[in-house]
Amino acid sequence: MTDPTTTDEERPAMAAHETIAAGEGRPLQLVRWLTGRLEIRMLSLAVLIAVTLSLASPYFLTANNVLNLLDQSVVVGIVAIGMTFVILTGGIDLSVGAVAGLTGIIFGLVVQPLGLPFGALVALVSGAAIGLVSGVLISYFGLAAFVVTLGMMSIGRSLCYIFSGGISISAIPETLSDFVYAKVAFIPMNVFVLIVLYLLAYLYLGYTKGGRTIYAIGSNVEAARTAGLNVVGYAILPYVVSGALSAVSALLLAGKILSVDPLAGNLLELDAIAAVVIGGASLFGGRGSIIGTLIGVFIMVMIRNGLNLMGVSPFWQGSAIGAIIIAAVLVERLVSRRGAR
Amino acid sequence: MNRHMQASTTALFTASGVQKSFGRTRALSNASITLRRGEIHALLGANGAGKSTLSRVICGQIRPDSGDIAFREKPFAIRGPRDAIDAGIALVMQETSLAPDLSVVENIFLPELGRPGLPRFGAMRRKAEVILSRLGQRAQLPLDGDVRALSAAQRQLVEIAKALAQEADLIIFDEPTASLSPGEVERLFDIMLRLRGEGRALAFVSHRLEEVFAVTDRVTVLREGRTVAADLATAALTQTELIRHMVGRELSHIYSERAPADHAAKPVVLKVERLKSAPLVRDVSFELRRGEIVGLGGLVGAGRSETLEAIFGLRQRDGGSVWLDGRPFSPRKPAQSIRAGVGFVPEDRRRQSIVPDMSVRENLLLAHLGAHRGFGLAYRRRDAKVKQLLAMLGLPPDRLLDASMLNFSGGMQQKIIIARWLMLEPQVMLLDEPTKGVDIGTRSSIYAMLREIADSGVAVLVVSSDFDELLGICERVVVISDGMSIADMPSAVLDEEKLTLLAAPRTSMERNVRFLRELAADHGGAAFWGLIEGERLFCLKSSVADQSASPGFGDGAAVGFHQTRIAAALAAGSADFVTEADGGLSTLIVHVAGSRGHSMGAAGLVLPAGAARVAADRLADRIRAHYAATD
Repeated sequence: MTDPTTTDEERPAMAAHETIAAGEGRPLQLVRWLTGRLEIRMLSLAVLIAVTLSLASPYFLTANNVLNLLDQSVVVGIVAIGMTFVILTGGIDLSVGAVAGLTGIIFGLVVQPLGLPFGALVALVSGAAIGLVSGVLISYFGLAAFVVTLGMMSIGRSLCYIFSGGISISAIPETLSDFVYAKVAFIPMNVFVLIVLYLLAYLYLGYTKGGRTIYAIGSNVEAARTAGLNVVGYAILPYVVSGALSAVSALLLAGKILSVDPLAGNLLELDAIAAVVIGGASLFGGRGSIIGTLIGVFIMVMIRNGLNLMGVSPFWQGSAIGAIIIAAVLVERLVSRRGAR
Repeated sequence: MNRHMQASTTALFTASGVQKSFGRTRALSNASITLRRGEIHALLGANGAGKSTLSRVICGQIRPDSGDIAFREKPFAIRGPRDAIDAGIALVMQETSLAPDLSVVENIFLPELGRPGLPRFGAMRRKAEVILSRLGQRAQLPLDGDVRALSAAQRQLVEIAKALAQEADLIIFDEPTASLSPGEVERLFDIMLRLRGEGRALAFVSHRLEEVFAVTDRVTVLREGRTVAADLATAALTQTELIRHMVGRELSHIYSERAPADHAAKPVVLKVERLKSAPLVRDVSFELRRGEIVGLGGLVGAGRSETLEAIFGLRQRDGGSVWLDGRPFSPRKPAQSIRAGVGFVPEDRRRQSIVPDMSVRENLLLAHLGAHRGFGLAYRRRDAKVKQLLAMLGLPPDRLLDASMLNFSGGMQQKIIIARWLMLEPQVMLLDEPTKGVDIGTRSSIYAMLREIADSGVAVLVVSSDFDELLGICERVVVISDGMSIADMPSAVLDEEKLTLLAAPRTSMERNVRFLRELAADHGGAAFWGLIEGERLFCLKSSVADQSASPGFGDGAAVGFHQTRIAAALAAGSADFVTEADGGLSTLIVHVAGSRGHSMGAAGLVLPAGAARVAADRLADRIRAHYAATD
């Protein structure tokens, strides 16, 4: 029982660990490791849902529908990246839907005089600027994220109507649509953008100073501050990312339907938050992963798509999605509590 | 003696063969304890030994997996805290369980507010007053004030009153002294003795052995979830025996051997002058040399932690200056101090140091990340250093990938946090209560670690409320009292008692300062207050009205008699004025005592040559009367 490499005070915990682990073989340990990984649990859930839906509807697993699923994942998926950043710091961004709507309108207004590249740039910068304002109010002035982004949501949506005069703008150049659906290695550009953004976010959160600081802020901001990390700056950054990515999703949406609408992106924030939470992130911050979020997005989109295929009334879809969010989080809670002390 | 014989017949609470596992961790494997009326029973053990689990089993917060529990000689199946409260068992916790926004009275009767019917506040108030008066603490608590505004000691008093309002016969104190000042600890002990006198059974969980010997009758020791020593009479034990039971081996000496090194010749690394940071840091000055361990002693709330934070750049400075390596040092944020070579281990590990969602490796590399300028992580650059630190910590490399630091004991957590800073090879290490919540077996390894750090040329500054520890590990102690550094002395000439006296709160000090000033001015000389021991004098405070009467030492000085200008008077021990051999200064020295009759040292009045004579006995009376009223 005495392991020479462990110090005395480690012994009780180690001993307890050994007595229980001793009876297990290697395969069981592998299972334990696999079930210990949140992403793998969520991925199994996604696969389970996919299998169930493909049994329920013969159309579900057709190539066309899979492409359709990916296409439907783009808008909420991109917004969910920014939402993951924000939630990892322990914050929340309720303004993403309104920002997507507003940046879409701004794009629709400036794209004719400025042209496509500059129009897109203006939309991106305005999205980032709105995020910057929220971030500074939250991180530097210490206001509650919920309240600030709620305010921003209201202002953003109101500006949508003011700028657009309350009607959709259809003067979107068709080149945008061509761009969005151009094929890159057999996949449409919008899906390609989604993949690239997730890859970048994955690398940023895992392998850069900023990414790890975001996790540290959400997990224990005092410890992060004491260790010399820039806790103000990196708590602002996620809101900027979130704002900019809301604009990206607005642009892709505009390219898809070739029009911008003051109501676009309505309730997008709820889908994005749900995806992040299903993906295993803690709303208190510090815990979660970008892969989990992507799986969460797929789960949401698959369920919605599957319910459509099965002809379930849209009135019931909200209830179904809500129940699945709560069930996923409950199961996760029960599973992870068993593993915890 | 009588008490013990009577006590052994009436066991109020017995637990035996108690087992409890949390998930994969077995917290208790065969724990037993017997608590009797009219007895204070110490529950001891290293961290992780299961003391807290057992005390929570006793008070019904945790249901054991198996074991026999009897209360009032009947089998007692506790289903939850409510049962325990109804039966008369209460827990006074370290982290208090009070509702901060309710008043003191409401908190005392909180369990009753849960019962049906309207609360009767008038009756509650009267009952609360009775309870507090019985404890002799009526004046200590504002009954209608919010608990939020109370000090840690006052909150604890509320907890005790709450237990008494429930007519608790069995009260468990779980590390009650951790955040109390020495004076408050004394007051708590008074209360505990009164409760014992009323025939209640008390359990006392603590790390501090001195306190166990001061206040308990019997001792039960847990190790690795088992009771390894049951029901020993405290008086028949020595500290070494207790430590042996707790750690299962003998510690030769818990403080590491220290060479009587003289650091005076070494270069000053950190110099702090008249540092001010409102509201707690008012005037702090000291110097720190290479390879030196200096203690910052004082009471909880004296401004020691805040001093460290102000140096480190976590707290705004309002005045004064700090030099690092001879250059002005005023970091606006921690990153600047870290890059300049200053490390800081804060007091509250869980709140200020540990990032629970990160692996041990990332926790170890957190300060590196803070110091690193660049986009990436550069973790690889520290690989060799990580390996070296792991070897020093005695951690196998695979535990580096452990998902959370919370699986480690407090001692190992602390060592990892210290190693976090060593990663950066600092010039100065600031440590705030480095052994808080660390068991005695691991403490010694933390002391050895600090020694090693200092020997490698780092200047180490340690804040500790444990004066014994401070004197054991530091070469020099700077005493902070109410935000002011009032003394800077080598540990060799200090002991706990003197340190306690030096650190005494400024409220009495301010009164004494005024008194000394008046005394000096009234008689046109100099007045001082200090401690006399053997051939040495420690000056706590002095006031000089006439420079020609200066005794030759100042505040906080520790001097041999011959180094002063009043050597003859100090050596004489006379009740009258003594004039020095050269016919110069005349001095009257009066030994003074506080209100409880405990020694407060000596006060003196120095008169210049040729000054008018004063009646020594009347003057001595005046001085004694002043000090007797101080406490």
